Amino acid sequence: MPKYLCLQRGLPGGSQDGDKPSPSQMQAMYAKFNEWRDKFRDNIVDLGGRLASSRIALPEPAPDGPLVEVKELVGGYMIVSAATLDEAIEVAKGCPGLVHPGSGVEVIEIRSPG
Amino acid sequence: MTELGDNFFRHEYGRLVAMLSRRVGVHNVEAVEDAVQFALGAAVETWPRSNIPDRPSAWLFRVAHNYVLGELRRSAHRADLALQHHAHLEPHELDSPQVFLASDVRDDMLRMLFACCDDSLPIEAQLVLALKVLCGFDVREIAERIFVSEANVYKRLARARSRLREVDFELDDLNPSELASRVPAVQTILYVLFTEGYLSSHAEGAIRRELCDESIRLTHELAGHALITSPDTFALLALMHLHVARMPARQDGSGGLLLLAEQDRSLWDQKQITTGLEWLARSAQGEVFSRYHAEAGIAAEHCLAPSFAETRWERIVENYAFLEQLAPSALHTLNRAVALAEWKGPEAGLQLLDSLAPPSWLAGSYMWFAVLSDLHRRAGNIEVAKQHRASALGCAPSSAVQAALERRLAL
Repeated sequence: MPKYLCLQRGLPGGSQDGDKPSPSQMQAMYAKFNEWRDKFRDNIVDLGGRLASSRIALPEPAPDGPLVEVKELVGGYMIVSAATLDEAIEVAKGCPGLVHPGSGVEVIEIRSPG
Repeated sequence: MTELGDNFFRHEYGRLVAMLSRRVGVHNVEAVEDAVQFALGAAVETWPRSNIPDRPSAWLFRVAHNYVLGELRRSAHRADLALQHHAHLEPHELDSPQVFLASDVRDDMLRMLFACCDDSLPIEAQLVLALKVLCGFDVREIAERIFVSEANVYKRLARARSRLREVDFELDDLNPSELASRVPAVQTILYVLFTEGYLSSHAEGAIRRELCDESIRLTHELAGHALITSPDTFALLALMHLHVARMPARQDGSGGLLLLAEQDRSLWDQKQITTGLEWLARSAQGEVFSRYHAEAGIAAEHCLAPSFAETRWERIVENYAFLEQLAPSALHTLNRAVALAEWKGPEAGLQLLDSLAPPSWLAGSYMWFAVLSDLHRRAGNIEVAKQHRASALGCAPSSAVQAALERRLAL
């Protein structure tokens, strides 16, 4: 089955730091995440994680340009397997906390040779 | 393992705030709360990916501890000030495995509770502070539970926090006699917390029950602390268990309130009653008979009565009389009149009320009119009963109370 890279991206205008969840809400998020993980156990290849700050290595030094901004927008990644892109999107969309008013998820097929 | 107990995060929040405040100083409580928030967030993020660590509490403590030390170092550096608590900030603690004895954690929780019960703060601010730092509710949840606006909760919390920032004692410095001197304030806050849950007209039974359970949990901590344990705390615990025992029968299927005489006594929680009676027995030692003893005694009589009619009203009258002496309030006199009427007839109850000049908060409340209406009806004064009934219905604070009154005061 093809694999897909899922990148959590901040949406323009969406605020990243909304209200802090309360401990009870965090417990609910935790439970939801586990449910999601169990439901899509067969699809999840790598749960990935949050991404910290990055630097881009270029063939030659370049002034800070548009590329630099990209790193601010990617919050986390994971890899799922699915028969189709649509199915992969369904898996990613089901993941709690990934798609909400402040962010969306970009799902990219990872091409394998052959 | 993916299972955590109910309220695990909320209870960990309270434990961690208490443990860290003791280590870095209660005046740093805001930094501590941020750190605990961070640690819980980290747990939500990482535990589902790996697994719950073997000792989740120790894991959370380590993360929160590192975070708060980092923050305090940074802010100390920024302010270019030597930290008062540098001794606590040595990194050697970080690497040692953290295993905590239950008794130590209990001690931390209690000390934090004692810090919340600062008598220079109004009781409303103390209550909000305890709900926030020890019970792990956030502002929205507190507002929902105690029926005030979020802005009001913020205000009370800000006041309490600014007081904590000035606190010049460390939790460790509170010696047993200082702790003992704050016990009454702590008992009061636990009682208020319980009452908020028990008497609240909140539509959701689960939410009311949650506040009761929180106060019982904290009162157990107080009762279990060897240095400051006392019979009146046992009595407080007894009264909480005995009230909670009757909660399952207090509402009908649609959330309406049921009167004591209407309740299905088979729904009363026998386990809670047994626990309550055990604590009541333990409270019967020493010289002091506190208001909690009187209230627990009343609750016990209700729990022990096989039916409303078979209640030992004379015992209840006696306990209300004690309560009036220990904590004078016209409300206690009103309750005694009700019990007296059950024991000796409506005229006896009315006679007692004749001698009472009700304060305005009582004279304008549905309880006052409801009792008058009921006693007059039973004494045969139907016209007077009607007038009071109309006044009672007019003052009812919620539709649930109004519905109960309409049944109870039917002429």
